[in-house]
Amino acid sequence: MIKVKNLRKVYGHGLTATQALRGVDIEVKPGEFVAVMGRSGSGKSTLLHMLGLLDIPTDGEILIENRNVLRLSDGKKANFRLEKLGYVFQEYSLLPEMTVLENVYVPALCLGKENSHKKRAAELLETVGLGERLNHYPNEVSGGEQQRAAIARALINQPKILFADEPTANLDFASAKLILELFRKLNRELGQTIVMVTHEPEDEKYVDRVIWLKDGLVEQWSTPLPISKVGISN
Amino acid sequence: MGNVKLALFLAYKSIIKGNRWALTLIILVMSLSFANLLLTPSILSGVTNTLDEQQVNTLYANIVIDPSEDKYYLDRSSLIEEKVEHIPGIVGVSAHLDTSACIEYEWLEKESSSDKGKGGTWSIVGIDPLREVNVTTIHEHIIQGSYLDPGDRDEIVLGVEVAGGDRAETASFLTLQGAQVGDKVRLTYPNGVQREYHVKGIFQAREMTRADRLAFVTRKEMASVLGRTIFTDRASQILVRIEQPGEENRFIKEFEALGIDGEIRSWREYGGATSGIVSSFDVIASLINSIGLVVAAVVMFIVIYINVINKKRQIGILRAIGIKRNVVLCSYLIQALFYAAFGVIFGGLVFGYGIQPYFALHPLTLPIGLVSFAVKPATIQIAVLGLLLAAAFAGFIPVLSITRQSIIKAIWGN
Repeated sequence: MIKVKNLRKVYGHGLTATQALRGVDIEVKPGEFVAVMGRSGSGKSTLLHMLGLLDIPTDGEILIENRNVLRLSDGKKANFRLEKLGYVFQEYSLLPEMTVLENVYVPALCLGKENSHKKRAAELLETVGLGERLNHYPNEVSGGEQQRAAIARALINQPKILFADEPTANLDFASAKLILELFRKLNRELGQTIVMVTHEPEDEKYVDRVIWLKDGLVEQWSTPLPISKVGISN
Repeated sequence: MGNVKLALFLAYKSIIKGNRWALTLIILVMSLSFANLLLTPSILSGVTNTLDEQQVNTLYANIVIDPSEDKYYLDRSSLIEEKVEHIPGIVGVSAHLDTSACIEYEWLEKESSSDKGKGGTWSIVGIDPLREVNVTTIHEHIIQGSYLDPGDRDEIVLGVEVAGGDRAETASFLTLQGAQVGDKVRLTYPNGVQREYHVKGIFQAREMTRADRLAFVTRKEMASVLGRTIFTDRASQILVRIEQPGEENRFIKEFEALGIDGEIRSWREYGGATSGIVSSFDVIASLINSIGLVVAAVVMFIVIYINVINKKRQIGILRAIGIKRNVVLCSYLIQALFYAAFGVIFGGLVFGYGIQPYFALHPLTLPIGLVSFAVKPATIQIAVLGLLLAAAFAGFIPVLSITRQSIIKAIWGN
């Protein structure tokens, strides 16, 4: 599903240049739930930004469904993001001028799904436990609820891959658990491919595989214990 | 939903649920910018209108019938007057019998024959007072004494720049140096006829017109001076006042169709120096308007730019979730045009129902006369178009720059 070859990202120029990624090679299979972990500054968020087509790498290749997505024009990248990718940010990223429901169905409007988008958005919000919050504005719901709405928005166009950049970083334990369980459920029940950046070691138990980054390079990858053995409730 | 519909939806939500204070401030700035774009040209138009009105009211009326090129006078002037005044839409017709004369004041006090005394040469206009009041407004500008009556023979009405005194703008030695109502003046006509008149009235039209440098006697008196038998039915020119200013050309064609033997012209062809002033005002108005437009554009740019910069993160998020750059651009363009449209509406209402009516009731008192604001349709068109373009520019450029940078930088707010 995703193949990354020799991905490099350098910020700045000359003496002030910082190598965020120094030749990353990874592969993610369809239906996998992968965590990207590492210390602060290891390049994990940078990697996710490149995979989500939010930033441009200095060098390397990203193949998604065998397409070299870095060769796409800006307009085609936007279409690709819209149709194939979903993105959940670390910080609350809902648009403050729209209701929770509107926030969720806005990406669907671009695809012309005029008739079904509201219904599907409402169903998704029901799935993430926000069925009662459809017409609330972002400032009227909690941080955890905003993040769940952001997940619903990321799923509205039925993306092939869901990217999540430290989605639980700003949440309390209970809300974070709820989000991670939601991801797990989406992955297990709908086969949703998920790539999640996290710095919480305990998140490891929710995923199929962990890619460890250190100083902009893949240090190792590991397969955590089966989920049944760590006692995660469904 | 098409891209335009989505852009409209985003713009609508941004306006409806955006910061109310920012919205109010932006529309206020737009309104003031629009009112400012109308203000200066309106004052200058008001000044030119005043000058035009003064020329019509005191010198030329709307249409002037002059003798043909090879003649000095219009013959059978009463017949021409009669023909013209029967045309519907004509308010008044008045024949003038003009000449020049040397006017002297206090001539008996001259110490020697070489003493120039208080005098000079001015144009003297012979009028029928009853007809003249329908054509010019000199009678409304009497500042001392009274206007001529039809039977007056030894009476004269002087312009303030002829009579001189404190109210005259002309240097004292170029006037009669303070002739008053009731005083006697002596006129020496080019044919040698010398007559004395009582000053019956002094009028002051306004400084910019040449009317204040004229003197009026009755036409009967003028005919007797020039030669009663020949000049009783002659005129130097005939002035015609029409009901609807602006229809001069139509009436001129009608007059020509009547077979009038003379040169028929609109008052505008006599504009002379004033038309130069009007043209100069037009150039000045264009320059000031251009600067006003640039200032309005810069102000709007700053206000909209600040608004857009505050929404940088939202623009980044919109792009991150797959909204195309042109949809985001279109959405902010719609917002900018919305601000400008409301600015035009509110600014127009303030100007049209506040500023303009106020100054119509309380005109500015300027040296050239009373000036109220006059807005030309072209001025409104230019201001509306200019404001919309400036708003579009101001809304488009900052968003373009934000959408050109990487999405992640926009989300971070860098």
